[in-house]
Amino acid sequence: MENTAIEVRDLVVHRGKKPVLHGFSCAIPAGSVTGLLGPSGSGKTTLMRAIVGVQLVKSGTVTVLGKPAGDKQLRHEMGYLTQAPSVYGDLTVRENARYFAALYGLSHKEADAAIKDVGLEEAKNQLVGDLSGGQHSRASLACAIVSNPKILVLDEPTVGQDPVLRDELWKRFRGFAEAGTTLLVSSHVMDEANRCDRLLLIREGKLIADDTPAAVKASAGTDDLDQAFLNLIRAGETPGETS
Amino acid sequence: MTGLLASTRAELLRLRKWPALWVMGGVGLALNILFGYVFDYLSYRGGSGSEITESLAPEQVLSGLLPAHVPVTTVQGMPMFGGVILLILGALTMGGGYGWGTWKTVFTQGPSRAAAYGGTLVALFTVVIVLVTAAFLLNFSTATLIALAESQPLAWPPATGIVRAFGSALLIYAMWTAAGALAGTLARSPALAVGLSMLWALAIENLLRGVANVLGPIEALANVLPGTAAGSLAGSLGATAFSEDGTPGVLTTLSGGPAALLLAAYTAAFAVAAGLLLIKRDTV
Ligand SMILES: Nc1ncnc2c1ncn2[C@@H]1O[C@H](COP(=O)(O)OP(=O)(O)O)[C@@H](O)[C@H]1O
Ligand SMILES: [Mg+2]
Repeated sequence: MENTAIEVRDLVVHRGKKPVLHGFSCAIPAGSVTGLLGPSGSGKTTLMRAIVGVQLVKSGTVTVLGKPAGDKQLRHEMGYLTQAPSVYGDLTVRENARYFAALYGLSHKEADAAIKDVGLEEAKNQLVGDLSGGQHSRASLACAIVSNPKILVLDEPTVGQDPVLRDELWKRFRGFAEAGTTLLVSSHVMDEANRCDRLLLIREGKLIADDTPAAVKASAGTDDLDQAFLNLIRAGETPGETS
Repeated sequence: MTGLLASTRAELLRLRKWPALWVMGGVGLALNILFGYVFDYLSYRGGSGSEITESLAPEQVLSGLLPAHVPVTTVQGMPMFGGVILLILGALTMGGGYGWGTWKTVFTQGPSRAAAYGGTLVALFTVVIVLVTAAFLLNFSTATLIALAESQPLAWPPATGIVRAFGSALLIYAMWTAAGALAGTLARSPALAVGLSMLWALAIENLLRGVANVLGPIEALANVLPGTAAGSLAGSLGATAFSEDGTPGVLTTLSGGPAALLLAAYTAAFAVAAGLLLIKRDTV
């Protein structure tokens, strides 16, 4: 790929004593939305942590915008939404967004824009601790996007959101990508996969597909992504059964 | 440098908007005024004499409530009551970032860890300065009101006395704040940090001081504990020691100079230790 934003090569990660990623390789094109899909416990969060540069890796390389993951110069280019929200529960949504904006040397303007981007305008003066689960994670999302990063790594951003909001969030992600941001979005909900430019299907720490949604479906011989995922797993387990 | 400035701005914003800070500051000032003025004034008016002041003649009680005595009155409540509150503030501020998971984001996207920590420290010490200033202003106003109500002449303390008391108050508060910050960083959880620091300040230090009276070797240690230094600095300014029916926490173990030096050393050591821990340790 000529315009690669994130490149992972032969990545091996152990967590605790257990191997979680076994020689994982993939390339994520710039200015696109890539979906990272796989069941719970398959290693999605671990891969994202490695890309953000907070995960101790055993071997292999992770390169982001041409620099090793975790490089100092990448700090201002990355936005990372952790799976568990990371915002102050005893401050309001707006105070949180302004806190992070100030930390990145930005103003109230950027903070307010980020709140609007995640659809939390009506709740901006509420304490984060009083929000619903979905609102809470959107507050966290607002803080991750406030710096307008070139790379956005979002760990299950749509969990607990109602369908209308999910739709809006995906439109936002698309908008960010069109503006040049590279997004890696994890999910364990297959129907979100169709919204992505590319898919990484992961299971038990192994990459089982890296392609466009259409190509994934075509190679699995089905129009249903859930079914395609199943077919690909079976194909991996007993080679030759499915073409 | 820009990172430190950005982080200071952010942490000041967080502290300013944090309801718990206003509650703690309010409680601190309320304790200061209650133990510094209200109880003594009531006992003076009622002629009954509180536990602390019953051994004093009414004129002595009144003179302690007048503007000339503000520096001593303000500092005497700080080793114990004020110290505990600042300890909690430091512990919650640092521990909260772990509890809410926010350090994780700060350390991956924000300025360097050193800058993020430096900004937090500057913001905390700013709060200390504001609190000490507020306590002095409040106490001067209260003492002036009492002097007017009791038709006493308005005599002011010498400027040097005010400056020394102000500096001592800053030092005592800064030391307890840094101790709290270290506890919060060590515990990585706000609740545990508060629990541990309370245990230290209220139980272990007093226990060691108690044992020191019986066991000689412990005495040398007990004489240089952070609480001993804070209490001695207040005692050196003229606050009545607890053992002489004075305020809890006020001691006369060390003289002023060594106590101040020791406090400065503790402040620096706690702040540096918390910083190193935060920077070197894998937090995320
Ligand atoms: N802190 C940890 N210590 C040890 N093992 C962990 C830790 N976090 C996750 N794991 C293990 O790593 C594997 C992958 O986890 P994770 O990357 O969180 O998966 P996913 O995000 O796809 O649900 C799981 O088997 C999980 O049990
Ligand atoms: Mg996960």
